[in-house]
This record gives sequence, C-alpha cells and structure tokens, in this order.
Amino acid sequence: MDDRSTKKITFNKSILLSLKAEVLKKQEEVLEKKQLPQHRIENYKPPKVEKQCLDKSKENQKCFKDSLKAVDTDELEACRKSKLALEKKAELYEHLSDRTGNSLLAERFLVDFNGKKQNESMKPLHKNECENDAVTNIDNEDDNEWIEFTDCLGRTRKCLKSDLELYKKRDKELLRVITKGEEDEATEVPDKPEKPFLVQKTNDYLQSLREKWEQKEKELLAKDKDVHYQDLLFDEARMHGVGYYSFSTDETERQKQMDELMKQRQETLRAQKEAEERKKKRDELLAARVAAARARQRARAGLPPEEPQKNEKDFTTCLLEFLTQQKNEADNKAKEEEKRIREEQEKERQKLREAYVREWDLGKEGMEEKVKKFRELTQEEYVEQQRSKRIDEFAPPQQCSRKNASSVFDEKGKMVSSDRNTTISKTWADVRPKTPPPPVIESVEESPKGLFFTTKKVDVKYKNFVKAPEPNPIVNEVSDDENSNGEGRQKPNKRKSDVVSKEIPPPPTYDYYGPVTKQSKVKKPFSSDLREAFTQGAKSLEPKVSNRQLSKNYDFTFD
Amino acid sequence: MTTSEVSFNRKIISEDLSNVEFDTSEDVEVIPTFDSMGLRDELLRGIYTYGFEKPSAIQQRSIQPIVKGRDVIAQAQSGTGKTATFSISILQSLDTTLRETQVLVLSPTRELATQIQKVILALGDFMNVQCHACIGGTNLGEDIRKLDYGQHVVSGTPGRVFDMIRRRVLRTRSIKMLVLDEADEMLNKGFKEQIYDVYRYLPPATQVVLISATLPHEILEMTSKFMTDPIRILVKRDELTLEGIKQFFVAVEREEWKFDTLCDLYDTLTITQAVIFCNTKRKVDWLTQKMQEANFTVSSMHGDMPQKERDNIMKEFRSGQSRVLITTDVWARGIDVQQVSLVINYDLPNNRELYIHRIGRSGRFGRKGVAINFVKSDDIRILRDIEQYYSTQIDEMPMNVADLI
Repeated sequence: MDDRSTKKITFNKSILLSLKAEVLKKQEEVLEKKQLPQHRIENYKPPKVEKQCLDKSKENQKCFKDSLKAVDTDELEACRKSKLALEKKAELYEHLSDRTGNSLLAERFLVDFNGKKQNESMKPLHKNECENDAVTNIDNEDDNEWIEFTDCLGRTRKCLKSDLELYKKRDKELLRVITKGEEDEATEVPDKPEKPFLVQKTNDYLQSLREKWEQKEKELLAKDKDVHYQDLLFDEARMHGVGYYSFSTDETERQKQMDELMKQRQETLRAQKEAEERKKKRDELLAARVAAARARQRARAGLPPEEPQKNEKDFTTCLLEFLTQQKNEADNKAKEEEKRIREEQEKERQKLREAYVREWDLGKEGMEEKVKKFRELTQEEYVEQQRSKRIDEFAPPQQCSRKNASSVFDEKGKMVSSDRNTTISKTWADVRPKTPPPPVIESVEESPKGLFFTTKKVDVKYKNFVKAPEPNPIVNEVSDDENSNGEGRQKPNKRKSDVVSKEIPPPPTYDYYGPVTKQSKVKKPFSSDLREAFTQGAKSLEPKVSNRQLSKNYDFTFD
Repeated sequence: MTTSEVSFNRKIISEDLSNVEFDTSEDVEVIPTFDSMGLRDELLRGIYTYGFEKPSAIQQRSIQPIVKGRDVIAQAQSGTGKTATFSISILQSLDTTLRETQVLVLSPTRELATQIQKVILALGDFMNVQCHACIGGTNLGEDIRKLDYGQHVVSGTPGRVFDMIRRRVLRTRSIKMLVLDEADEMLNKGFKEQIYDVYRYLPPATQVVLISATLPHEILEMTSKFMTDPIRILVKRDELTLEGIKQFFVAVEREEWKFDTLCDLYDTLTITQAVIFCNTKRKVDWLTQKMQEANFTVSSMHGDMPQKERDNIMKEFRSGQSRVLITTDVWARGIDVQQVSLVINYDLPNNRELYIHRIGRSGRFGRKGVAINFVKSDDIRILRDIEQYYSTQIDEMPMNVADLI
C-alpha cells in the first residue's frame, strides 16, 4: 500500500529502510492473523456495519435532542464553535482530496488524501452490500481466486470467485425462505425516522383499545338494567382493596357472583363463631382437668378438698370495689347529665334551625307559613292583625277606619291649634298607620275622668293597643328603658330620632319625651300641647309594664 | 315601612362577616374507624373493597354530621378523600328502595362528575345503588332515558342538570341533599347563577354539603343564604399544602426555553404519569403539536374538544396507556388518577387556589408527588407570593428530581 504514496518526503535511507521493514512485519502479522482465526476478524465486521446504520438514525435523534438540551448559553456557544471547526475541517479535507497530490497544502499533511480518494471509490460498493445485508466483498491480496463474503445470517464465508454468484443465489433463497419476518422489519426500517416503530405500535394498540371501549359504551347504553361500577371501569389502572372482586358486567352473572359472595361470607361468619365456641369449650375442659388434677394432688397430700371458688374477698378489695363502683356511678351520672344538657341544647338549636329561613328559599312552595311565622310584620300589618283580634266593645268610639281616625285627629288638631295642623296634617296622616290615633286616647281620658279605675283599665287597653303595634325591637328597648328610669329613657329616643329622621332635631324639653314612644314625626302634633302630652306620658308609664312583657315575649320568638 | 327597612339594614349589617374568622366548629366528633361509624354492612364492604382501610382526617370528622342531616362545609387537603367522604355519607343516607333521585351532586367539570359517579357506584357496589352522570356533551335522549329509569343519585354539571330539571325529567321532590363539590368554584361568579337556578327547584331547607380543598373567605360568608347553621370543618391555609408533594421551580429567561426544559424533563415525566398545565387551550394545542413534532408521545385535553375525544383521552390516561397529558385548568380540580406523581405548571396558575388544586393532581391519598413550576424571571414574584401565602417551600429544582418521584 505504501508503494502508492505519491508524496515525496525526504528521509534518511536508513529510516526508510527501517520503516519498510516495520511495515512488512506488520503486514505479515496481519496475514497470519487473517489466516489463523479467519472468521473472528471478519465476524466483527457485519455487526459493526449494521450498528453504523442504526447509529446514524440514533445519532440524528440524539443530535436533535442534544440541541434541545443545550440550555446553557456557554454550552450552546461551545457546540456552535466545535461545529464550525468541524465544518472547516471537512471543507479542507474535501479540498485536499479533490486535488492531486501536488497541492502545496497537501504537503503539509501526513495523510495521503489522494490515496484516500481512491480507496473511497470502492466504498459505494461496500455500502451497497451493507444495505443488502448479505455480502461483503473483500479483496485478498495474496490469493485472488478466493473471496470472502458475509451471508444473510452474518457469517463470513470464503469461496472461489467463480462460485460467488452461486453462493449469492443460494443465500438469497435462504434469506427469502427462512427470514420472512426479518424482511418485514427490513422494509420497516426506512419508515423509522418519520414514525418510530414503537409509536406506531402503541397507536395501533390505543386504536384497538378505543374500539373496545366504544363497544363497551354501546353495550352500556343499550343496557336497560342497572349500571354498576364494573361497567364504567374501562381498564382503569386503579389499586383496589384486597377484598376487591371484579364482578361480571352481565346482570344475571353478577347476581350469581354476588349471591356466592354472600354465601361465602355467611359461611365465614359461621365458621368464625364455631371456632370461637370450640375454643371456649376446650378452655373450659382444660380448666376442669387442671382443677381435678389439683384436687387429686391435695387428696394425696391429705389436705381437705379445695372449696370450689373463693367467694370471700378481703375487706380492702371490697371497699375498693365499692368505691370504684360509686365513682363510676357518679361519673356516669355526670356524663349523662352533660349529655342531657347537650341534647337539650341541640334540640333547641334544632328548633332554631328548623325555623330558619334561607334567603334562597324565599318564595318557594310551603315557605309562606314559615316566613309568616318569622318575618317582622310591617306596622300596618301588625295594626290590622291586632284590630282583627280586638273585641268590638273596646274599639274606639269613632269608627275605626283610617279616614275616620285621621278626621278625629283633625278635630283634635283643630282643638289644639289650627295653624299648626295645616302644616303638619299631612305628615301626621302619613305617620298615622304606624301610630294609633292619639285623639282616641285623649277622648277616653277626657270624657270619663271621674271613673278612675274603669277608665284607666280602658286606657290600659288602649295603651296596649297603642304600643303593641310596634313589633320592631327599637320600640321595645325604649319601653324597657322607660320603665327602669328616666335617664335611660332619653337614650333610645335620641337614637330613634337619629335613625328615623335626622332632619328633625330632638325637642329640648325633657318631659316631652316621656309619653311619646313613636317616631319623632309623631311628636310634632303633641308639641303643641305640652301639658296634655305630659299627663298622657305619666299615665302611660304604668301600663307599659305589661306592655313590655308582651313585647319581650314577642322579641324572644323573633330571636 | 321605614322601620322594616331599618331592621333589614340592620340584619345586613349584622351579617357582614368580612372580618369574622371562620373556624372549625367546636362540636365536631372524631370517629377513628369506619366500623364505628355505624354504616350499613353493604356500604362498609364497598368501602373496604375500594381500598380504604382507615378513614382520613376529613372522613373521620365529616361523615357523621352529613349522615345526621346537618349542613356541612368540609375542607381538606387535595387527595385526602373528600369525594369518598360525601359519597359514603350519601350512600349511608340513601333509601335504595325508593327509586327516585334523592341526592344531587354538582361539580364544575364533566370529567369530575363522571368520576364522582364512578366512586359512588364503586362504594355502593353491594348496595345496588344507581347513580347517573348528568353532563353536557352527551346525548339528551340517553340522559332522559337513564333518568326515567330511576336514579338514586345524580352527579352532574349545573347546565345539564338544570336543563333536566326544567324538562321535569329530573324530579326534585325527593331530593334531600345537595352536594357542591369544589364548592368555591361552584359558587364563583361563573357558576353561582346556575347553582341558584338549580337550588330554586329543590325543596326548601334541603341539606346542603359544600366540599373543597380551598374555601376562600368570601365563599364562607355567603353560605348562610342557602345553608342552615352549617358545621364547618376547615383547614388553615398554612396547612393546606401536603408534605408529600415536593414543589420546585425552574427559572427560565425566556418563554421559548420552557419547551427545551420540558423536553429535557421528558424522561422523568414518563417514570409514572404526569400532567402539564397551560393557561390557555391554544397553548395546550401548540405545546402538544410541538412535542409531537419532536417525537415525544403526549396526549392533550381541553374544553374545546368534542366530549367523545375528551372521554377517550381520559380513558387512555386512566388506563395508563398515555403517560403525559397536556391540559388546561379543566383538569385542575378533583380529577383522581392514582399514578400521577408529577405535575408541571408550564404556566403559573392565575390564582392561588388553582395552584393548590393543580399540584394536588399528584400525591393522591398519601402517595408521593412532585410539582415543578416553570417560571420566567417576572413570574418568580408570583411564586414567592404563593409560597408565602400557604407557608410552604418551593425550591429550585435539583438534578436528582427523578429520584423523588
């Protein structure tokens, strides 16, 4: 091979000679090795070639993955650089191998590119063989008649050149007959890059699974009977308990299995019970035998027979038992008491819960009653309700209709001061439904002044009637305070005036507050006659005791 | 008039609960075993065969009051058996001889409604319970037929359920319990109206059960409108993240690098099963396509897909055939696939609650889980906020993340 070198390198003769000798020695070695373990050397070749083929695709993938992996900027940069360098090198080599050896550049390298090029011309053939996966041709320098080739099974064989065609033919037949499956694979290999074999296979599998599920679902839809867990499982990979049993999706079969399970369970229970009984019996027997043995021993020793059981316990244990018993009893009692209290509380809470009306439930069927029971009535509604309950005898002398009442007031207003009435009448009329007509009280008070007790009673009634229509808690608080003392009276009124109508400042006179428990708007007409208001207020103090109680009850249910 | 108005206002004021701190009710009993809960035999058998052995904290506390008929607000960490909690309670309080809808369970997504149906059927396998998933995107006629057949429990999404009620196919007169799973989502702006619509058709004072891993204050505030003196079982927010779910972040400078990072992580993803969350459907589509182009096997799911396709994807994922799922927040709440051990937030979630729900797709019922957040530099602030809000720890992702799965 070295003879072919076209490069002129100036050397010492001795160096050249020794080199030649070395080369010859090596050649001889190679030959020797080739002849002795012939197949071993060549055996390595086919897999190597195959690997190369595979590696290429793998490398491609790896390259892609690697490029993806290059997260680090430095790494990326390094990659780029090395690639550039490699490209440069490739270019250079190309250039060198393109030209004949006289290139100036070529002299700088020890590699004989020209020779390389010549060698490469043989490579396509080699490659072809690799792809065919059948034959490898190797030139043998020494005996040209013999040729080596690799058969379809990867074995290296040697034959005469003239016989090669025959062997090849045989080999092809062998390939066709024996390895049809491999052929399939071979055809699929080129497919690999666009769709990996594994993906293809899993896709097919998934498709079949989907079809299976579809089928199952259709069955499920068609099923006119009960649907069970097993029908919906669809190959779910789920860990179940140890006792899990996958029932049949067929209803009758499932029932059978279920019955069987039940039967087995019953059997298990029975067996458990039996075993326990047996054990108990055995223990008893054992105890009896031990007792008998002991009795015999005692008899042999001349002792009197043992009493069947030691019934007497000593005093301390008795006491202890007694005490613990007592303690337990006390504990139990306390616990029971606690439980009872809790239960009672729970009951109360339950009642409250039952009475509670959810906002989203309002307006639902059957809710009206519950709401009625609970809702705060408006003033008007309450007055109407109270009126309907009122005994006619106690009705005010004038007719009870609203118009009349207002007219009564008008009368009263005229009596007090006509000029005020004109300005205020409207407000009063507005307020009126909420507040009972004061003139009614007035008339009662005025006309039968002599009949102290009776009038008072009537008065009380009226007062009740007057106060009661105010179910809202504000008024109730007021009545409470009024009762307790005069100081307290001021507060609620103040607050009320704040709440209801801020534009009207609270009147300055203290007395003024007493009788009037209504909104400050109401107060206006009264302000015209302070004296009257005062007397009325003074009287109203007493009846309010009962009034308060009533309202308190009322409140209670509300909360 | 004025007085009533005043008192009304006063009521409103007295119900202004924005400053009230809600706590777990005092008289909540803890029952340590299923056996001592007084459940019916068939139900117990169902519970054990499904794989539950010992009740979780929430199950120990909530089942009893629900069975007793009380209104209950139950909160518990993700994957600690909330669905089973109300399912067991429902099954215990059912009268299976009465072939009418007695319980209505509403949930925000169709997949979740279907899952709940499955759980109820599994736990009630020995009780012969009938439970129907009444969800949108399915055949109306089939729905009607199934409901006519007589269902003890209906688990559905609000839209279809309301439709069925209005058509008088779903009769409400025997309904004695309404369960809102993922209650905070259901009472949020998007769903509240629909819930109200459904509620208006229920008998007054129907028992209501609210369940969720996250119950923001404003949700608790409004419960008095449709619940009566509810028993609350709540979890402080600093105890809301699970120890078993390790949380990490990967800082990327640019959005494009998220994709490269994901590709690098792919081998880790497929160790068991993984869910990747994006914030929009479009992004899900985009990412899926890009991953597939790069020869990675992934499946995807979002609300714009036809229901059939969604079902198939769910089945594939549940059966373990697909191992990486790219999805939107449609998958964030409630979905239970035991093998999921890795969640990736390709985009950070839009609110704190969603974060809890998303990472809760892994680490189911005591299993280990890992959550990895992809954060751009300006996202780190949000992540720190989440970390602080839940008093949890989100470290930078270590090299050996695969060992943690």
